Amino acid sequence: MSNVLEIRNLTKKFGDFIAVDNMSLAVREGEIFGFLGANGAGKSTTINMISSLLRNTKGEIILLGKNIAKSAKFAKSNIGVVPQDLAIYEDMTAYENVSFFAGLYGLRGAQLKERTVEALEFVGLGDKHKAYPKNFSGGMKRRLNIACAIAHRPKLIIMDEPTVGIDPQSRNYILNSVRKLNDMGCTIIYTSHYMEEVEEICTRIAIVDHGKIIAEGTKEQLKAIITDTKDIWIGIKSEDEIKVEPLKQIPGVASVRVEEHMVMINSKAEVNNLNLIIQQLIRDRAEIRSVEEQAPNLETVFLTLTGRNLRD
Amino acid sequence: MTTIHIAIKEIKQALRDRRTFLFMLAFPIVLILILGTALSNAFSGSIELGEMKVLYKDTGASPALGGYWDGFVKAVEGENVHFTPLGKDMNGQEEVKSDNYVAYVEIGDEGIRFYGSTRNTIEGNIVQGMLTTFAQRYNLVAATMKTDPVAAQAVLANASAPHDIVKETALQADKAPGSIDYYAVAMTTMIAMYGAMSASTLIRGERSRNTAIRLSAAPVSKAEIFVGKIIGSLFTNLACVLAVVLFSKYAFKADWGYHMGMVILVLLSEVLLAVAIGLGLSYLFKGETARSIVMIFTQLASFLGGAYFPIGQDESFMGWISDFSPLRWANVAINKIIYSNELGAALPAIGLNLIVAFAFLAIAIISMRRREAL
Repeated sequence: MSNVLEIRNLTKKFGDFIAVDNMSLAVREGEIFGFLGANGAGKSTTINMISSLLRNTKGEIILLGKNIAKSAKFAKSNIGVVPQDLAIYEDMTAYENVSFFAGLYGLRGAQLKERTVEALEFVGLGDKHKAYPKNFSGGMKRRLNIACAIAHRPKLIIMDEPTVGIDPQSRNYILNSVRKLNDMGCTIIYTSHYMEEVEEICTRIAIVDHGKIIAEGTKEQLKAIITDTKDIWIGIKSEDEIKVEPLKQIPGVASVRVEEHMVMINSKAEVNNLNLIIQQLIRDRAEIRSVEEQAPNLETVFLTLTGRNLRD
Repeated sequence: MTTIHIAIKEIKQALRDRRTFLFMLAFPIVLILILGTALSNAFSGSIELGEMKVLYKDTGASPALGGYWDGFVKAVEGENVHFTPLGKDMNGQEEVKSDNYVAYVEIGDEGIRFYGSTRNTIEGNIVQGMLTTFAQRYNLVAATMKTDPVAAQAVLANASAPHDIVKETALQADKAPGSIDYYAVAMTTMIAMYGAMSASTLIRGERSRNTAIRLSAAPVSKAEIFVGKIIGSLFTNLACVLAVVLFSKYAFKADWGYHMGMVILVLLSEVLLAVAIGLGLSYLFKGETARSIVMIFTQLASFLGGAYFPIGQDESFMGWISDFSPLRWANVAINKIIYSNELGAALPAIGLNLIVAFAFLAIAIISMRRREAL
């Protein structure tokens, strides 16, 4: 497979701050490429440089074999951007929104009409083409946000957190749309805070931290990096009484996360500390409902490599 | 073509915005009606004089004068001046002080004594003038009678000829703006300047709606976006301005003169100036600050330019400072075109508007080029 996108020694500085530090990567044709990083890791800056929204300080971005610095119009014509924040006009109908943005890519007349209808139908808004987005649900707005980016049939689609703040039904619709776009031949760069989404749809993933790619590969390859840890998930009735610090003092425990009815502990694989963990929880008067030992997932990989959660 | 595509989008959005109709159409039309009606007297070139009541007392000391006086009183009755003899227990001067009469006159052996009212100076002056003329003619007749009675008859005959009390003589007396005419021009130039407010959100609005990302990511140059937005804004604002012109012309019968093309050119240059100021300020100041500054600027320019009432038409400080208001430039030029047929008056206004507009557009272009995104 040829590379749709190549990034070579890409650097972006804002004054003295280095947002992207000598980054290199390649996205192959037909991939859904996951781009993971906590806030401030340099992920959005990289995406903005690929989309020509920001100029790079150093390095090269090659899209479909052409340097985007020298062929900006060509690059822009072949990229579709789905911004994290909704980028639609509330005072224009769904049809007018898609038609306007598609028109910026040179589409006119019957072709513009056809592609606009096609994009709206693709995201399931064909019957809402005359409606104004101000009357849409969050999920419908997200879908329109996608339609505005795909009507010109780009080769590369960059989706920045396309499922933020929407209901599970719309989320599933969008994830299926991403798969369908990929099946239709689009290469996709996908960023999300939802690790399970990335794990579900991405064929290859890069983890970014402090402006650098610290790991890259398929999810299996990434998980293989972490062989010396295990995840222990303990179901509890209430998390109110749980004290995190004593749990962290238990030998082998690397991190503790408490969420709704669940204590998630990452620990060294060779240390048998389950009894000590259970005893501590009982001392905290926790009512234990289940105990499960899991193989490392992407969340664990991310935590181990960066030392922080994706949502930090 | 992309520029036109962007311009059409701008026009569509502006025409759907209720605020456009409220601020750019309803607001000026209502103000023309209210201010034009309420302040109509302030713009009238003539004064309506009511009945002039004069109190007089003939002491009888000069029978000859008394005889002529009675003739005079009868003669001026038709001129809306009514002479009433002083009644018993009446004090002539007190009656004038109480504003019951505009003047009090005493006819005695020393001639005619006149007491005028300081409250009704115009009416008082008219009566005084009439009495002076009467006294001079009486003296002339009395003197002539002694030497040439025939000539005296001729003087008397001439005195009885009908004559006007006030004759108006003024330059361009019948070609001056009435209140509706004044406010039609003033409100139109005011809303032309209001275009600065919508223009201040042309680019800033795209940023706040995040659509600037899509515009920047599309294969469209900043210049195309910039020009498309300016064309859209110019079209919308000029359409609103022309709507007010036509409405005031046909609904309120406001006088827009015979050189509408030149008037529209002045208005177009003012709309361009407003759009340029709005855009320029939106790059000079961040966020809502830009909108606030544009708002303050338009209000000050409106006030100083005489949008609410005529201001600074003399050599005072206000007169000097009002010359800095673009509304003033436009109002002066348009009024000269309408009322003096001075087409050349448009040139200084158009020239100033274009110079300032290009300066602000240059600020916007330089700032835009410096920014990585829009």
